Amino acid sequence: MIEVIDSGLWTTVQDMGRHGQYHLGVPPSGAADRYSYMIGNLLVGNPENSAGLEMTLIGGEFMFRKNYIIALTGAPMEAYLNNKPISFWEVHQVQEGDRLKLKACKIGVKSYLCIAGGIDVPDVMGSKSTYELSRIGGYQGRKLQAGDKICINEPLFETSPRVGKSIPAGYIPAFTDFQELRVTMGITGYLMNDMALKTFLNSEWTVSHESDRVAYRYKGPKVSFSEMPPFGAGNSFSNVVDIAYPIGAVLFTNEEELIVLQKDGTTGGGFITIGTVISQDLDIIAQSRPQSKCRFIAVTIDQAIQARIERRQKLETLYQML
Amino acid sequence: MFNLPETHFHFGGDEYIYAEISREMRIESNFKALAITKELRKKEIPGVVDIVSANSSYLVRYNPDIISAKNLLDCLKDIDLTKSDPKKLHFSARIIEIPAWYDDPVSRECSYRFRNRNPEPELSNFEFVMKANHFADKEEFIEYHSGTPYLITMVGFLPGTAWHFPLGQEPFEVLQAPKYHSPRTETPERCIGTGGAFNVIYPVNGPGSYQLIGRAAVPMFDPKGQLTDLKETAFLARPGDIWKYRPVNESEYHQIMREVEAGEYRLKIKEFTFSPLEYMEKGKQYIREFMEDF
Repeated sequence: MIEVIDSGLWTTVQDMGRHGQYHLGVPPSGAADRYSYMIGNLLVGNPENSAGLEMTLIGGEFMFRKNYIIALTGAPMEAYLNNKPISFWEVHQVQEGDRLKLKACKIGVKSYLCIAGGIDVPDVMGSKSTYELSRIGGYQGRKLQAGDKICINEPLFETSPRVGKSIPAGYIPAFTDFQELRVTMGITGYLMNDMALKTFLNSEWTVSHESDRVAYRYKGPKVSFSEMPPFGAGNSFSNVVDIAYPIGAVLFTNEEELIVLQKDGTTGGGFITIGTVISQDLDIIAQSRPQSKCRFIAVTIDQAIQARIERRQKLETLYQML
Repeated sequence: MFNLPETHFHFGGDEYIYAEISREMRIESNFKALAITKELRKKEIPGVVDIVSANSSYLVRYNPDIISAKNLLDCLKDIDLTKSDPKKLHFSARIIEIPAWYDDPVSRECSYRFRNRNPEPELSNFEFVMKANHFADKEEFIEYHSGTPYLITMVGFLPGTAWHFPLGQEPFEVLQAPKYHSPRTETPERCIGTGGAFNVIYPVNGPGSYQLIGRAAVPMFDPKGQLTDLKETAFLARPGDIWKYRPVNESEYHQIMREVEAGEYRLKIKEFTFSPLEYMEKGKQYIREFMEDF
């Protein structure tokens, strides 16, 4: 069991996410930076889908009530085990009574604490991920609070031989303040003219403070819509007949604000959707801080699939190495 | 089906395929979306993760590590062609009565609180929707809004939110309303909203941009499983169901709410098989037939 002494800024239980419920309006949820989360599980010898803790900007403080094998990944928060610095991207043995304290990160947003065995909370609709808007899954459907006691499953096999293993620097994400985000174009972009499309692709966009697990908001240049909306959509130039949005959908809520839907995203709506960020780059978005900048790069489906294959190979190489 | 244009397919990143049946809202587009998504579910294609029927489109989420994007696209195109025969299309639907308190104080208060995000801040949402549709009399508006059954054409946004669209009306007969310029940050649960040509009932408190015209007395989301009729998925909304509003006054609204809270309220529900072909051929007459004993 792990006791929460201080829950940090925004800490939730997450796994690979919830599937097969989208038609009821239930989004996938799951780890926002899937790559960092998957490496955390890889390090401690967990199956890919074991639940871990996702922390945001400031991690908080935890006390271990048993000996555990743990790993920290994601945004490099200032971290201490019993007041001694503890490294990220490495397997550690912690003892009963040890205290783990995570202060703020200077780069990135989301950090992960993975524990051998994985967090033991009930499956809700097939997943342990927290979806806070409807209070589904995770620890009582909510973010953690001081005093919460989190149960850990017994590891599937002996994991102590892994202690001390770490991830080579080349496999650790860069957490930069400028990102290139790959987008497949399409969906309901027909209300935009060529000029608007060019403005979208040729401009820099800035992450706004109102960004979270539901949506990332960006400010940029004015993008003009010129076509009339179709019947049923309402009378605004940024409205279409409501559709089911892909996660990663790039929406214009008005001519000056762009949204990229995240893993807790609203599953449908009537804003113009001009494209979809590929799944690998959603990890990069989740790690981007307010005021950081990005550019959108149009890619084909083949390029999108290639990016996916490359990441899969990267994780497989790591798996072999460990 | 019903002379619909050719479906357009788009890739949404590496995990989604979006199929646009028509850009404008047409009830036959929704019938087709329901038919295709039903067929897709039946096929149980390995690698297909989520299948979502939407107003005039549908969305499929898949795992490209299991099925390739192009194979799935070919498969969808094939179903799109073969499932275009209206004679073979029918689906089981439930007609559900929604007791609603129109122009209630909670919706009115919410309109007032967020009035600056609305095109006409001096009007309540209810008054604004009346005006936009040229109604001068409140009772007449309520009668018109509650007079026709609505088809649930899509579920989404927040869990359990159902878009519903009036059956048996020509486009010019459909009530329509502009949405908020900038979404409200809060909407009380169970408020009934109108935006574009659609209605929704907000299942939980959350953001929203539709005009609030009343409040349903029955919950859309029942996480604790208190109500018999919501036990199956915890949500009332199901694509392809039909909702019929029944206006209630303040005292009946509170009476129903008390029964809901005690877990005793039973919704009025009728199950039947909806035939899009008969609907397209007979129109309003078909609606009269299936609503007769409701």
